[in-house]
Amino acid sequence: MKRFLDLNFYELLEVAYDASPFEIRRAYKEMVQLYQGDSLASYSFFSREERQEILAKLDEAYSTLIDEKKRFHYDQLLIERGVLEEEMKYRGDRKTLSFMPNAKRSRTNELSRRKNELKASVSSNSVIQEILSRDILSGKDLKKIRDELGVSLEMISDIAKIRVVLLRAIEEDQFGKTLSRMFLKSFLRSYAQCIGLDADVVVNRYLKGVID
Amino acid sequence: MAHIWPIGGGKGGTGKSFLTGNIGILLAKQGFKTLLIDADLGAPNLHTIIGLSNPTLSLSDFLNKRIPTLQETVLEMPIHNLFLISGTRNKLDIANLAHEQKIKMLRAISKLDYDYILLDLGTGTSFNTIDFFTLSDSGIFVCTPEPTSIENIYRLIRSVYVRKIRQVLKIHRFRTLAQEAEAQNQDAIVQSPETLLDVLKNTQPEEGKRLEASLKAFQFKLIVNQVRRQDNPKIGILICKVIGRHLGLKIQFLGNVSFDENVHEAVCRKEPFIDQYRYSQATLELKAVVKGIVGTTEEQAATLSPTASA
Repeated sequence: MKRFLDLNFYELLEVAYDASPFEIRRAYKEMVQLYQGDSLASYSFFSREERQEILAKLDEAYSTLIDEKKRFHYDQLLIERGVLEEEMKYRGDRKTLSFMPNAKRSRTNELSRRKNELKASVSSNSVIQEILSRDILSGKDLKKIRDELGVSLEMISDIAKIRVVLLRAIEEDQFGKTLSRMFLKSFLRSYAQCIGLDADVVVNRYLKGVID
Repeated sequence: MAHIWPIGGGKGGTGKSFLTGNIGILLAKQGFKTLLIDADLGAPNLHTIIGLSNPTLSLSDFLNKRIPTLQETVLEMPIHNLFLISGTRNKLDIANLAHEQKIKMLRAISKLDYDYILLDLGTGTSFNTIDFFTLSDSGIFVCTPEPTSIENIYRLIRSVYVRKIRQVLKIHRFRTLAQEAEAQNQDAIVQSPETLLDVLKNTQPEEGKRLEASLKAFQFKLIVNQVRRQDNPKIGILICKVIGRHLGLKIQFLGNVSFDENVHEAVCRKEPFIDQYRYSQATLELKAVVKGIVGTTEEQAATLSPTASA
């Protein structure tokens, strides 16, 4: 058995090397509950000094792992010692935790952050410009633009709060009787805004194709 | 060979006898030939828990050589498959057994032929109590969710741990080495027995490893008894965690058993609790505990000798 105070910060908090800040915070809270002075479970097990030493160590572990920069340096240290391998490391936003409400929000932010970038690529991309120069826009045209921009339907669905099925129906001109004109308009507007297009232009030209 | 389960708890009134009696009845009802031994020599009352007010034979009959073998002091209980060696009718000074008597008794117990042998141990951490833990690789610790009880359970577990280390060391003739280690860290050992292991590992790495391996074989369990609604139900898991992390000793949490006013009623009527209150929370939890015990012994049997059968 490894002596307790020789444990590294991850072992100390009993979290995986790629634990998210959320998991680290939760683990820390649990550990403090276990080791704090009025904890029933560890009552009489430790002397006051031992307890203080453990709590200080826990604090150190927590404050290191919860801080992105400090954690990065600590991970480097572990890698040098051969404890940790590069692939096992935590890589922030690469790991999407779908069960966490925060994860979705961060993805949403990603798209809205890219809004200016999207607008720029709309105006600079020749394929998109060619499509936009047409008088009538079909669902296929919209899909082409979206593909050019590299935006997935799921991403639009997350922001616009429109189900993917409906978005796909619009792109395939298959919405038929399922959508009233009013909803269609508003969905098209959201769709356009999400990928950095002029909403009025898209709505007008798309509807032209539908009415006739 | 019988599975011997010492049941101890450091502090009095935690329900050792209650648990031993009721677990024993449940095991017997599942068809296991079960022997209960009241090893609480100073204050025996296991017989009352299972509804026998006047045992005719007892352990001291064997120790006094009035009866030649321990097997002959076994009393058959009205419940099928359940047997008892009572601790009553003992001489009043029997709580302090002489060393030879204890050895004789331990030897006799390990020779008995039952599926399960449950030992109801006395309180405290005297050698009389903890030596029973050396009988087996299993053992159940009982505590209640109170600081006093938890304090004593840690004390007992540490004592058993040290005793086990000593036992293993003696077997491998490392006794002098242990004494040396003990002398080096006199205070530390009382505080944390793992230092003994550390010293040994430093001076004699190979022997240290062997000791560590044999300590890993111990299958200690924990039951938290008399859990009231306002208590933290996770306390048992946390205790096991502390022990695992700081003593390097793996203890499995068998479960909580709820506090139940009816236990008092049952004891006063001198009738087994689980027969009286078959569907109470505590009874259901006791059944879960028994499941854990049976599961462990099956596992042990499977790892030790895959072909042997009960």
